[in-house]
Amino acid sequence: MVFSSITFLFYFLPIVLGVYYIVPKKIKNIVLLVASFVFYFFGEPKYVLLMLFSILTTYIFGILIDKYRKTEKSKIFLAIACAISIGLLVYFKYANFLIENINLWLKNKVDFINVALPIGISFYTFQMLSYLVDVYKGNAKVQKSLLKLAMYVSLFPQLIAGPIVRYTTIQDQLENRTHTIEKFALGVRRFIIGLSKKVLIANVLGELVSTFLSSNEMSILYYWLYAISAMLQIYFDFSGYSDMAIGLGKMFGFEFLENFNYPYIATSITDFWRRWHISLSSWFRDYVYIPLGGNRTTKVKWLRNIMIVWLLTGLWHGAAWNFVIWGLYFGILLIVEKIFLGKYLEKIPKIFSHLYVLIIVMVSFIIFNGDNTSMILQNIGGLVGIKGVPFILPESIYYLKSYFIIIIIGIIGATPILKNIATSKKLEKIVNVLEPVFLLCLLVICTSYIVDGSFNPFLYFRF
Amino acid sequence: MKNKIIAIGFITILFVCFTLNIVKKDKEISISERRKLAVFPTITLKNVLNGKTSEEFDKYTVDQFIFRDYFRSIKSFWSNYIFKKKDNNGLFLKDNSIYKIEYPLNEEYVKKSAEKIKNVCEKYLNEDMNIYYSIIPDKNYYLESDYLKIDVKDMQKIMSKSLPQIKYIDITNDLSIEDYYKTDLHWKQESIRNVVNTFESKMNLKDTSNINYEKHELGDFYGTYYGQLGMSLPPDKITILSDRIIENANCYNYETNKIGTIYDIKKWQTSSDKYDIFLSGAVSLITIENKFNQNGKELLLFRDSFGSSIAPLLLENYQKITLIDLRYISSSILSNYIDFNNQDVLFLYSSLVLNQNVLR
Repeated sequence: MVFSSITFLFYFLPIVLGVYYIVPKKIKNIVLLVASFVFYFFGEPKYVLLMLFSILTTYIFGILIDKYRKTEKSKIFLAIACAISIGLLVYFKYANFLIENINLWLKNKVDFINVALPIGISFYTFQMLSYLVDVYKGNAKVQKSLLKLAMYVSLFPQLIAGPIVRYTTIQDQLENRTHTIEKFALGVRRFIIGLSKKVLIANVLGELVSTFLSSNEMSILYYWLYAISAMLQIYFDFSGYSDMAIGLGKMFGFEFLENFNYPYIATSITDFWRRWHISLSSWFRDYVYIPLGGNRTTKVKWLRNIMIVWLLTGLWHGAAWNFVIWGLYFGILLIVEKIFLGKYLEKIPKIFSHLYVLIIVMVSFIIFNGDNTSMILQNIGGLVGIKGVPFILPESIYYLKSYFIIIIIGIIGATPILKNIATSKKLEKIVNVLEPVFLLCLLVICTSYIVDGSFNPFLYFRF
Repeated sequence: MKNKIIAIGFITILFVCFTLNIVKKDKEISISERRKLAVFPTITLKNVLNGKTSEEFDKYTVDQFIFRDYFRSIKSFWSNYIFKKKDNNGLFLKDNSIYKIEYPLNEEYVKKSAEKIKNVCEKYLNEDMNIYYSIIPDKNYYLESDYLKIDVKDMQKIMSKSLPQIKYIDITNDLSIEDYYKTDLHWKQESIRNVVNTFESKMNLKDTSNINYEKHELGDFYGTYYGQLGMSLPPDKITILSDRIIENANCYNYETNKIGTIYDIKKWQTSSDKYDIFLSGAVSLITIENKFNQNGKELLLFRDSFGSSIAPLLLENYQKITLIDLRYISSSILSNYIDFNNQDVLFLYSSLVLNQNVLR
């Protein structure tokens, strides 16, 4: 089930909210757990048992790790638990990719396995790993209630597309959380804004991206339109989903950490990754980079650590070589910035550092969206007119005119300008009056787009 | 206060829609979209486990959503006037007329369409027959240049390579934007006399421009594009042309094996597509017999839906016209129904059909 569907908005959500707020406090967690499993079952019936198995093993090994704390056994249990979780992820997500590449070297080819990627497996696996490691390190209390651990892993707002919520962030909230009308309204606000980002901007720009990819009438202008639209689409798609998740969390009394902080206003790639998919980059920092030694080691090992993290970051996004290249691309750029470029970026006028980030990121998403190397090279080369591509053709002019307003809205929406206006003291009275009307109108408009449209993919579902 | 309004407003919208969706009786068809709507899924263990039930339920909730047409209008309005998108679901509005983007020119499909015509010629027709083809431009051909549209002249160039022996009749100069319905893709029957005259002139037929047909305005007509765009617009009017020949002609429908009339009033009254008044709409094979003309001349009109409204105006010159829609009947079985001898032959297709490889 996706948030931007009629099923979720006008069937699932009212029922769950209604039941959740009617039942006594002690039953609320059970309601949420049941709702989360129904939510997952609706979209991925056959893999509910897999998620249950993962939860159960995490629960048992969490208790064992805690019981034998500070002994060798604890480490062994941690290793087994991680191996099970990672093993399942590798089997379902990477097995065919591995077979495909192994087959390049074999005479007798290995058959591909017939498995589909379970929705959200990358997200919930990382949540369970963080729980196990935190319990092992003593940073988190072991959860002795299976119900509460299951709820942490399967909580429907963040189950299938993040953010990757740490156990330590919500361990207290699983026991005790507050419900106020202010918090609920904040959640509604956040949810509607996220829904609008997804439905009104990401989906609409996604249509342009699809049109470009199926077109034969290429021009430099069209390549740029594609690159900018794809860049905006992925941001509004994913950050919109995170906004909805955070908003829904608030409606049910939870406080999740932010996942995006206007990444397109970053002044360096280092800064960009502090603002983009924060829950993922901080996860890799805390559970891979620092345990490998981080930067408190020799320079060679430090560089190795960075490249390992970014290789894994790329692979996390998908089992394909373009994701590997995408991750390594960022790894190399971060190293270059850390070694020498960073200090120059701080000195040059900000407009140039912004442009630098935007171009680098735009190219990165061309790599990200590329099905194969030639497509990636063609789409990057097209930006500078390689192979004598004409500057403009009728189709590109038409789509520039057609999508101009949405692209401008997207560009403005990717900066904090609107947020600054909405929170300005001078405009407080006007905002207080207009905001509820604006939000409820947005909900109606989003509904109209969902009712009419069929183009509604969530890009981050494939992870 | 603000928070209360937001929270209560949100909850109210959710619960009102939820309740109305549950209470409301499901519709079988959407008249505006001219299609069957999804129904509540059949729940079986197999379908539930393979995800089919979820998929069907999603479609059902979208199709049966309360005030669906109003919501579609909101989307269309927002897309058109706020986002200033030039089209909505491939359709766009210009001077209160709706157009559909058919772009780009699909060279492969046009070639395949031409090949189909060529196959018919080779299999059934001989060199002594008068064989012609013509392309009906989509109405956005007549829009100014910054809209995406297929150039009929480019399409004809591709066609002519496959059909060098067949004479092409250019009708692009006989039409203008006003000759098409505003809410539909088709041309208006009362506006195509120039096209008929061109055919008569190029096909060596008697000029019928002096005939004064009686005009009957039947009423409002909301065309196919109207429902697809989902915006409120004034309707078109359907006007039919009639005279003694047209009124008394016998139409034999090979699908129903029944004899009817050129203008199917029953279809006008009952069909969701009022354009079906012309020769009962989509029919694979139909003949029209002119009781007042015994000259033995026959026309084989290979056509799409545009042909239904022009065929009556060509009847003056023929004793019999056979209309063949190759979208609904395979060209390989035509000899089962048609005796090919010395008829005139006209392949008359819209650029929309030729660009889609739908001829069988």
